[in-house]
Amino acid sequence: MGARNSHRSPDPKSDFAALQERFQRGVLDHDDSVLADILAGPRERRDVLLAVYRHAYRARLVEIVQQDYEYLLAHIGEEAFAELAHAYVEARPSLQPNARWFSHELPEFLQETRPWRDAPELAELAALERALSDAFDAADAPVMTIERLAAIPPTEWGAVRFVPHPSAIRFDVTTNAAEIWVAHKEGREPPAARLLEVPAHLLVWREDLVPKFRILEDEEAMAWDEAVAGLPFGTICEMLAFRADPESAPTRAAVLLQGWIVSGLLKA
Amino acid sequence: MSEAGPKPRMRSRRIAGRNQAGRAGATIAALKPSSDRPDFLGFGLGLRPQHYSEILEGDPPIDWFEIISENYMVPGGKPLHMLDRIRERYPVVMHGVSMSIASTAPVNYDYLRDLKRLADRVAPRWISDHLCWTGVHGKNLHDLLPIPYTQEALDHVVERVQTVQEFLGRPLTLENVSTYVQFGTSEMAEWEFLAELTARTGCFLLFDVNNVYVSAFNHGYDPETFIAGIPQDRVVQFHLAGHSHMETHIIDTHDHPVCDDVWTLYESAVRRFGAVSTMIERDDNIPPLAELVAEVNKARKIAAGVLGADGRNGRTQ
Repeated sequence: MGARNSHRSPDPKSDFAALQERFQRGVLDHDDSVLADILAGPRERRDVLLAVYRHAYRARLVEIVQQDYEYLLAHIGEEAFAELAHAYVEARPSLQPNARWFSHELPEFLQETRPWRDAPELAELAALERALSDAFDAADAPVMTIERLAAIPPTEWGAVRFVPHPSAIRFDVTTNAAEIWVAHKEGREPPAARLLEVPAHLLVWREDLVPKFRILEDEEAMAWDEAVAGLPFGTICEMLAFRADPESAPTRAAVLLQGWIVSGLLKA
Repeated sequence: MSEAGPKPRMRSRRIAGRNQAGRAGATIAALKPSSDRPDFLGFGLGLRPQHYSEILEGDPPIDWFEIISENYMVPGGKPLHMLDRIRERYPVVMHGVSMSIASTAPVNYDYLRDLKRLADRVAPRWISDHLCWTGVHGKNLHDLLPIPYTQEALDHVVERVQTVQEFLGRPLTLENVSTYVQFGTSEMAEWEFLAELTARTGCFLLFDVNNVYVSAFNHGYDPETFIAGIPQDRVVQFHLAGHSHMETHIIDTHDHPVCDDVWTLYESAVRRFGAVSTMIERDDNIPPLAELVAEVNKARKIAAGVLGADGRNGRTQ
């Protein structure tokens, strides 16, 4: 649809297209050539009027980043955050129509860019905030219930594969970013940033419309990751048995599974 | 280069709450029903997440709600859940900020598909966006950018509106935006451009009274001339909002109550366009719902003063 052979099809060399290009450069790159296209206002100079758009562009996107990462903002303070947000706005122009996704690459930006990359807890705190936002409006899906699970004949248990709820996001952190998040959430003074001796396993998801996260023990993280990768329940039980006390492995697996179901982590 | 001062509004994007029926209120009948012209809905409000629970628990005297389409163009979760509940009880219209109808970039069909999917779910009374562009060359400035009022631009926008209307299978409603600059190449006034656009495409108009006031001040014309230049039968919605006065120019911030001058202009608009669905649009400094309901009631009162409480009166003067 829309592909017309009209002579009025958008012509990249049209005056209108060229004006939009100049105007966009004027806003994004502070190129002043578009001033020649603009009339002075009845009470104001043209450069001041163009500056309304230049200022608005940056202020609006900075505000979006602030709203999306409120604990990172609280953690580094307004001034340092403004510097970060401005750097992000200049480095990563928005490429999609919905501003919902504008700040999505901030954790990667923090990870790659000096000086922020030298403080890895910042990228990890941002990654946790992003995961909670993503869980907040991730796709809906009916969740697995205990009743539904009970209907599966025992002979088929070993072959059952579980599908995570679309809101579930699993990742590891190497710093105490989660502890810092909790401190901000509770309005407490955050602990000093530190590297963990071993990475912590975070699981973020949405339960009853509310995004949540928790830290998984090694065994649960392994079982979850394998389940998400599509391994059948029987294989996961075998892996648990191999990992520690084979006797209690089926019970341990059942307890994990029950926890996932009660939390709405699995798709029906 | 000024990096201070208020920024113009742009209402997309809020994840508020992340960490945590045909109503009979309208007292004024539609002025001039025509085949595809949407019904008069009465007096409404822009739906904001801050008010979800107050609306659902309190049954406020609001006839309808307008949503920012992009805030619900997400996969799922609370925004769509709340929207489903609100649309069970109130008529809803969809108002977008990213269609970029006047851009010379190719039409973004991914965006239109998402918009249509949302419309299929919401069944809005109409779908609106702005007569503006938001970017070219794949970039999005998330702003409502101004256009030159030239024949070339008009031809281009006409074709785009036709394309979008075909895709959506319904007429589009377009809003006049606040602008801070005018281009030397313009060949006609903004209202002439809008009148031509609606005549050639059959699109409807969302008349933002505040934006007319802001642009008239910024460019030095009489807002009454704007009102007189818009065809009487194409306006299906009014927006009322506040702004920030910077002495030499006004910025459309939508973060204040509606000012007296805009209320006066609203009265003129009602006199010309008749009973048109009216709403208060607050995008920042969102006050408690009761404050906005008071502004909605003020609009009701002004419209009733012009049209008569039963609305059959048409115009009183």
